[in-house]
Amino acid sequence: MKKCHITFQLNGRTCEVLVDPNQTLLSMLREDLSLTGTKYGCGEGDCGACTVLLDDEPVNSCLILAAQVDGHKLTTIEGLADGDKLHPLQTSFIDKGAIQCGFCTPGMILSAKALLDEEPNPCELDIRTAISGNLCRCTGYQKIVEAVKAVADDCQGEN
Amino acid sequence: MLLPKFDYNAPATLDEACRMMAGYGDRAKLLAGGTDLLIALKKKTVTPTQVVALNRVDEIKGFLSDGDGLFIGARTTAAEIALSDLGPAGQALTQAASQVGSPLIRNLATIGGNLVTAMPAADMAPPLLALQASVVLQRIGEQREVLLSDFFISPGEQVMLPEEIMSMIVLPRLPEGCGGAFEKLGVRKALERSIVSVAAVISLADDGRTIQGARIALGAVAPTPMLAQEAGAALCGRKATAKNFAVAAEIAAREAKPRGLRTSPVYSRLMVEQLTLRALTRALEAANL
Ligand code: FES
Ligand code: FES
Repeated sequence: MKKCHITFQLNGRTCEVLVDPNQTLLSMLREDLSLTGTKYGCGEGDCGACTVLLDDEPVNSCLILAAQVDGHKLTTIEGLADGDKLHPLQTSFIDKGAIQCGFCTPGMILSAKALLDEEPNPCELDIRTAISGNLCRCTGYQKIVEAVKAVADDCQGEN
Repeated sequence: MLLPKFDYNAPATLDEACRMMAGYGDRAKLLAGGTDLLIALKKKTVTPTQVVALNRVDEIKGFLSDGDGLFIGARTTAAEIALSDLGPAGQALTQAASQVGSPLIRNLATIGGNLVTAMPAADMAPPLLALQASVVLQRIGEQREVLLSDFFISPGEQVMLPEEIMSMIVLPRLPEGCGGAFEKLGVRKALERSIVSVAAVISLADDGRTIQGARIALGAVAPTPMLAQEAGAALCGRKATAKNFAVAAEIAAREAKPRGLRTSPVYSRLMVEQLTLRALTRALEAANL
């Protein structure tokens, strides 16, 4: 097994890593780069705990080989805050009580971010569809939908 | 879950990919969206020594249309298809694409992969069958076009040679006055493998009422995605009425060959009938828009 040398943009920085060809993106993030905000749930594309943004689109990092991100842009939950200042979605999730155990939260927030970047003023159905690949075992989703909606309403106010 | 050991290859062109596949033969597996392959690797149901990733081969991604029809690159994702405008008949396909897996899966899963894995419940297969699609299979210096209705053999098996790569899907140009629709039954709204799916495409004569041609295709109710040929034929030359649609739906239910794996065959057939009725009704609406 020949190792693969890959270069990609990770949370705004250029990153060079030597990965195993049979290593998933999720395992590279968690084990090699110690970015443990991205969670390992099912490993089969069912739960969305491992969501990352690949070229700004939300995807399951457990279904991607690390080698495949060579030359691409990657955003993980660690890339959202601006220094100590949390991303508005992160603040909103805290304010609205949309986090219980927190295991689904990084994935939820990234799916929501991708939606809001695309459609700043989504309806409830848009929000529910956007997070339909992210499972939450704690909150019952209502508070999560409210937290996303609050951010959407906020940016509407700004405009 | 550890993946089996393999080498990773990332050819930049289709030609280079074909060369690699010719050299490796069945020791290699092609990687497109990865939503099926990665799971198969984790479960070790496939153990290739080489993985040939197509994610740099951009020539087999995207849409191209000319006078003869529409060409969809095999690497085009379900999300890209869901967002595309393929006309009133092509809606059958866009609707199916928008119901594949979840948004996260749709950003990865490709139309080619959905066909190559040859799963009976593959969402995009019925609309493509109803749209008379064919697929282009490529190997070094040679390509062949196979009708999708001749492509599937059995669950997980299709006609491709180990060294072949699916490069595109061809949808023949349809006459004016066509409409299509897709219906799917699952037990939940996302991340669902269909229990029954139905695609219908009808073409209307100038009077807007007489059916010139109808194609109905079924998913998850036979060892492979299938055309309900008799049901489609029964509508030819008939008026597009609820009564005639009901007759066709009943024939489609009879043509289905459910194996009773996830639901009882009786239930599957009843659902084929209902979904066919709905798909035809919505296809008519689309044709009349
Ligand atoms: S860990 Fe990737 S979807 Fe569950
Ligand atoms: S907060 Fe626990 S899984 Fe969502």
